[in-house]
Amino acid sequence: MPIPQSSTPPAAAPYGPGAPAPHAPRHATPDHQPPTEFDPAAGLFAILLPGAGHFWAGERVRGLLIAAGVLGLFVGGMLIGGIDIIDRRENPIWFAGQALVGPVAFGVDYIHQNHVKVVQRMQDPRTGQVTESRRTPRPAYTDANGIPHNAEQRGPDGAPVPAAAGAPAGSGKSLGRMYELGTLYAAIAGMLNLIAVIDAAFRSRRAA
Amino acid sequence: MNLFLAWRPFLDPMQLHGWWWAFLVPLSLGISVAYKAVRVGDLRDYWRQVAMMTVQIILGMVLLGVAAFVILGYVVPAIVPMDR
Repeated sequence: MPIPQSSTPPAAAPYGPGAPAPHAPRHATPDHQPPTEFDPAAGLFAILLPGAGHFWAGERVRGLLIAAGVLGLFVGGMLIGGIDIIDRRENPIWFAGQALVGPVAFGVDYIHQNHVKVVQRMQDPRTGQVTESRRTPRPAYTDANGIPHNAEQRGPDGAPVPAAAGAPAGSGKSLGRMYELGTLYAAIAGMLNLIAVIDAAFRSRRAA
Repeated sequence: MNLFLAWRPFLDPMQLHGWWWAFLVPLSLGISVAYKAVRVGDLRDYWRQVAMMTVQIILGMVLLGVAAFVILGYVVPAIVPMDR
């Protein structure tokens, strides 16, 4: 009597040349880990704009979700703490994390430095050398002699000019909890975008 | 109310210092939205995973806060008594 052929392949021998290594980690077997593909164009797009790398690679919904998460945190941080939380000059360590959002962070910092802050120019009386420093416009205050001073606004050349009586300063200095939270939001957005950039550049690492 | 009327978005920080803890919820949600968008393989399961991760982060922060309160408020004073 003929023996019927089974449709299932025979089980692999527990030992021998073709046998899997005992206690081998799951990721070490090529059957469970698709090969990683390096996609430099997707990585470049992801650096330029959060989510753009996945969008360019055809994963449009995923790209939009990444953009919503990263840019939502970044813009949310600025909404909470004001534009003052993005400051390459005064807070370079936090800006290192925020810069991972990409050109958007550098653009916001450029606007902050050149269109929001006031430029304080001071001349050394001995050498005549003029030095510039940039700072947040001062709010209205009363000095030690009891003399009230109006708030400052940015003048045409960036120099501080007094605002009208009762008018607010050009921008508010971010301090305390709101500054901490806003800075944290934007820095976490940058770090999450770094994950997205790596994922866009090195595809197929994600388990299906 | 006057604080909100004077607030200029993106120019002034919000004056909600007493409500700082409430901002941890959207922070957790934003982290989950971005991270799970990268991590989840099948996007049909995406929002459930986002909700789970958001809750996990919030619960983790609450537990860390309780642990810090117990350690600093009770354990450390018991080990090193201090004059009050």
